[in-house]
Amino acid sequence: MDFINPQVVDLSRLQFALTALYHFMFVPLTLGLTFMLAAMETVYVVTGRKIYRDMAQFWGKLFGINFAIGVATGLTMEFEFGTNWSMYSHFFGDMFGTPLAIEGLMAFFMESTFVGLMFFGWDRLSKPGHLAITYLVALGSNLSALWILIANAGMNVPEGAHFDADTMRMQFDSFVHVVFSQDAQAKFVHTSVAGYVAASMFVMGISAFYLLRGQHRELAARSFRMAALFGIISSVAVITLGDVLGRMDYEKQPTKIAAIEGLWHTTKPPYEPWILAALPDDEKQVNHFEINIPYVLTPLITHSFNQPVIGMYELEEQAGPRIRSGIIALTALRRYGETHDKADLNLFNAHQDDMGFGFLATRHAPNQDVTNIPADQLDAVVKQTQPDILPNVFVTFWSFRFMVFLGGYFFAIFAVAALLSLKNRLEANPWLLKATMWSIPLPILATEFGWITAEAGRQPWTVFNKLPTFLSASGHSTGYMVFSLAGFALLYSVFIAAELYLMFRFARLGPEEHGTHHDETDALLSHFHGSHA
Amino acid sequence: MTLIATEELRSMKIFRLAGLALALVVALLFAVFVGDQGPWYFAWVIGTVMIVLISGAGAVLLDAQEDGVANTEKLS
Ligand code: HEM
Repeated sequence: MDFINPQVVDLSRLQFALTALYHFMFVPLTLGLTFMLAAMETVYVVTGRKIYRDMAQFWGKLFGINFAIGVATGLTMEFEFGTNWSMYSHFFGDMFGTPLAIEGLMAFFMESTFVGLMFFGWDRLSKPGHLAITYLVALGSNLSALWILIANAGMNVPEGAHFDADTMRMQFDSFVHVVFSQDAQAKFVHTSVAGYVAASMFVMGISAFYLLRGQHRELAARSFRMAALFGIISSVAVITLGDVLGRMDYEKQPTKIAAIEGLWHTTKPPYEPWILAALPDDEKQVNHFEINIPYVLTPLITHSFNQPVIGMYELEEQAGPRIRSGIIALTALRRYGETHDKADLNLFNAHQDDMGFGFLATRHAPNQDVTNIPADQLDAVVKQTQPDILPNVFVTFWSFRFMVFLGGYFFAIFAVAALLSLKNRLEANPWLLKATMWSIPLPILATEFGWITAEAGRQPWTVFNKLPTFLSASGHSTGYMVFSLAGFALLYSVFIAAELYLMFRFARLGPEEHGTHHDETDALLSHFHGSHA
Repeated sequence: MTLIATEELRSMKIFRLAGLALALVVALLFAVFVGDQGPWYFAWVIGTVMIVLISGAGAVLLDAQEDGVANTEKLS
């Protein structure tokens, strides 16, 4: 078998991680701000007070800046699957490509079309008509996320599909199963409401900036109140769904949950502690120090008092028979490719659930060929492959903890903010206003940690238990990868500089100036129309 | 003239009612099907509507609080 250069795989992973994490700096605001704009405009339509229209337009402008750059950075990722992950795309394209195509065709076009109407339709549409458009933008942007998360859930929990020995790729069994899988649902809601949290903090933080300076009070106090209420409910939702995801990992991705919780050994319920902090050592497979909260782990993860959580040592042990079975599957598959003999197909089908573990063994097989391992070397190959089933524990453990700690902080700060806002006591507590201002980037950071938990925890697989990451990449040269990575780094640095510059500029200018600009634009437009009349 | 206007009004009302009834049926089907197959999707729809309405209500409450303060100031 001809093998892909591990350096190229690492560079492909680095490139994907960078572009994905970068893209996701923009996504949460889009997901959340659209619904906040809809909330503001709803109040405008119901009460008729102009201030809410000003609010929707002002925050809409900041949304627009974020949206434009977010879309641009998302597009490159869709191509990356084809250019850098062609093996993966071949193997899993049927499953992954379908939701991705729906996202492109349905949600993306819906979002983009209505965004245009939202920005330019204020004076051209009726009030309810424009409100409906704003809701459609919100729905469209969240539906985009939905399809991507359905695709991502398929990589984490590949149910509703099987591997076809004739086409040599995964094929759908049930599209409905894929769309309505519990994992897809929980992932979507967790991510969408994480966006609501990010948008709430953004609006609250900038409003706090105005309140601290005594500027634009009418707009800032209302925006702050709305954002604080939006944020407090969203932070409860993000925590609830986080718990659901943890439980799902426990059921479907045991290696991920063991790494998330730093569990090297199977737990003995009910007295197991939850590890608050530790230094997991991936080499020695131990935690160097631990701060524990007694009794919490079992109910937290299993929602029971008597079920154990399997530790990483035991998972490694359990992988042994699966690796052997996977090697049988791949050997039968190769024979079937040559002979098309039904007996080989039957043998493959009997072992196909473990095929991924056979792939995992290729790195350690003589000549990297699992279909020709001499009998006396089989045990050694299996033994060497066993530790490969684990993700990087340190990264998974800590990214999860940062996300969770931040989640707790968001709940606390939104609760205090909502309370003080409801009592009209914000200006009397400048510390809170300052804290919200400085907290603007934190929800974005939490979402990045969330993605690191989900994706680093999925390793060593691109398709969990089916296709290892090191077999998923395209066969590029190292030079090509370095060149494209440098290109992305440069281009994206320009993007982020532009975004930050525009955001700061427009936030500093504030709503009044925004209003003036709007009037100027209107005057210009009416002049234009007038001169043609 | 007035007769036609009343007729038109009546048929518009019927159309509107039919539209609302249809929306209700769709909402019910959605609740039954998605509530069963997609409990979290359903929770997302209901939850998002709730978040939007509560945050909107918060703003309206602020208006009322400020109007209340303004009225008291006027009176005193
Ligand atoms: C506080 C309690 C929280 C818990 C228990 C929690 C739990 C989790 C878990 C277990 C995952 C991995 C899911 C997987 O296997 O793929 C995850 C992913 C994620 N989390 Fe959290 N989370 C919490 C808070 C947050 C917060 C506050 C944010 C952001 C504001 C956030 C954003 C994300 C994102 C974006 C992902 C990746 C997408 C996904 O897999 O759903 N989480 N979370």
